Amino acid sequence: MIFENLQLAFAEIANIKTLLLMIVGVGAGLLAGAIPGFTIAMAVVLTLPFTFSMPPEQGLAMMISVLVGGLSGGLMSGILTGIPGTPSSVATTFDGFPMARKGDPGFALGLGVWSSFCGGMISAAMLVLFAPQLARVGLEFQPWDFFMLVIFALTVTASLAGKDLIKGLIAGALGLLVRTVGEDEAVGMARFDFGIDSLLGGFDFIAVLIGLFAFSQLLSDVRDPVAARRSLTDRGNIRVRIEHWRAIKALAARWPTVLRSAFIGIFVGILPGAGGSIANILAYDQAKKASKHPEEFGTGVPEGIIAPETSNNAVEGGALTPLMALGIPGDVTAAIMLGALLIHDVVPSPSFISEEPVLAYSMFIAFFAANFIMLGMQSGMLRVFVLVTRIRMYMLAGVILGFASIGVFALNNVTFDVWTLFWFGIVGFLMRQFGFPLAPMILGVVLGNIAELNLARAVAISNDLTLFVTRPWSLFFLTIALFSAAFPYFQAASARGARWTWFYAPAMLVAAALPLAMMGGAVRPWLAGLCVVVGAFLGWKAMRRVKVA
Amino acid sequence: MTRVNRDTLCAIFLLLGCAVLAAASFEIREPDYGQLSPAAWPRLVVGILTLLSVIYLAQSIRKGVPEPTEGESSDETRRGGIAGFFVYWRNVFWCFALFLAYLLTMPYLGMLIGGLAFVFLLLNALGGWQPKQLALHAIIAVVTVGGMWALFTFGLHVLLPPGQILGRF
Repeated sequence: MIFENLQLAFAEIANIKTLLLMIVGVGAGLLAGAIPGFTIAMAVVLTLPFTFSMPPEQGLAMMISVLVGGLSGGLMSGILTGIPGTPSSVATTFDGFPMARKGDPGFALGLGVWSSFCGGMISAAMLVLFAPQLARVGLEFQPWDFFMLVIFALTVTASLAGKDLIKGLIAGALGLLVRTVGEDEAVGMARFDFGIDSLLGGFDFIAVLIGLFAFSQLLSDVRDPVAARRSLTDRGNIRVRIEHWRAIKALAARWPTVLRSAFIGIFVGILPGAGGSIANILAYDQAKKASKHPEEFGTGVPEGIIAPETSNNAVEGGALTPLMALGIPGDVTAAIMLGALLIHDVVPSPSFISEEPVLAYSMFIAFFAANFIMLGMQSGMLRVFVLVTRIRMYMLAGVILGFASIGVFALNNVTFDVWTLFWFGIVGFLMRQFGFPLAPMILGVVLGNIAELNLARAVAISNDLTLFVTRPWSLFFLTIALFSAAFPYFQAASARGARWTWFYAPAMLVAAALPLAMMGGAVRPWLAGLCVVVGAFLGWKAMRRVKVA
Repeated sequence: MTRVNRDTLCAIFLLLGCAVLAAASFEIREPDYGQLSPAAWPRLVVGILTLLSVIYLAQSIRKGVPEPTEGESSDETRRGGIAGFFVYWRNVFWCFALFLAYLLTMPYLGMLIGGLAFVFLLLNALGGWQPKQLALHAIIAVVTVGGMWALFTFGLHVLLPPGQILGRF
């Protein structure tokens, strides 16, 4: 059965049209990644309108290609010009640019390209292996658990996405609120329409996403008239040959760094709200700590390029895992992927892989294939990716705003969607100015319906609201959500040296052990026991620290 | 205006919005069927948002001068007064104003002509009005908007809105 599905999925991807679309997608992603100020999420969301007329396998393959290209595009400009194309490539410049300036740009680029490839492949392998297993666990979820899972995802995103938890939570709640406008899905009653007919259908959430993310980002990019008219760099005439063999040998010799960074990327990707921008810094930091010569970092050492580039490409496999297994996106780009699936009437859930095996396997294959295409294109089109950094931001902004309006209209052939783009562009811009993170709002918009539908299902099954806190999975997500909500305070207090922070991890482990023990089965009670033992040990160590202090 | 005022005003605006939405939630009709009222979820979200906004308001009053946020001015070139405010945000206002004009004129100009005009005018407003730039911006607008219009119309068979003035376009 698996072989049959794989064969069908392979046929969907390995045809000329899909492969051409994937090449275009990787190219577009690489270009977008190379341009500072043009985020990967913006590139993916702007690709969405093109895919609505395609079969889902083709559309998603193209979007995955844009994503994979975008994750790798930032390294070119980062290494050669010192300006990272995306926040995911910030740490790459720490050693990539010095190495290039020391006269070894070909080696630096080779390391970047092959690290990206390795990170992508490891992450794709993990996605294929892990997503079906997680989906099996997800089949245990009932509406109460799904509702709490959404709350957990929003809370984690709010606590990780910005400096201020309250602003993050407000953004998440605003996102949920946006989805309540229009007729409700359960009984079809009009809500918050204020007598305006266009509002009865609600806001198209793709238009909302493009407005919130792309429109508002472009406005922020052109705010400064001088910066908007300036080329990002004049270093457009660089001639470099990528040193592939030397880079492969260097990577093979540093495989622990590759593996560690890939797993950091995957783990960060699975966490809702955390993405490549966090993973690349974290992996760089860990590589530095693990090095025998940490003082050399920042001067152009290979590990300083390998770690961030491996991790930022590994992120997306992690982020797609909860999306494909549970229907809960791991980051903004995965949320946009969810939007693409919904456009094609595919609702991701724990049964997604078993009910839509060809589509699911197509996504897996596309992820692998996109990494190979990315490898080839990065090597062959190096100069183009450096040249695009000479584009002036105002030109890009003007063209993209025009394009966004056409793309958004094409989603439903309704002018109201273009108005939605406009209004949410303003909302997104104001939110950025007031310091509200947009990621929780976007997740709120995407997950709002899922939360409400599961709440309605839960209430329809039983009036007993205590089930939200007595069912094991529900309690588990609630516990983790509470601890993640406290995480920003923990971080701030930890920096001040507050003693209570020493008990944060032990308390979380012990608290998580209770729902795990309640789940029953063979493995989970043991896992609960392990959590209690580790928690007790850490608690004991914390007590000793308190006594010494 | 200080940061405290900005956050406080924002919190008050959010609270006012919550009040409007809370009142509007009582306009939602209750059907005789279904277990969960269609107003329950919106009220729950509005309730949570109100609570968070109250905390935000209290924080903004208590905090004093918070750290600057993304996009907020650390720009030394920013001048005070209403004129300074408009100069500082002029590019953003151009984008808003031209996009609004594009939307309002779409029924008359259509998406192709309106889109061309929007991109051309926006590029000039952001990039400059010198003759050489005008020519470059015109080429960019025609190639990009025209190309996109052609792709959607002929490639993806999407009927983009025509204008009353030129009929088909």
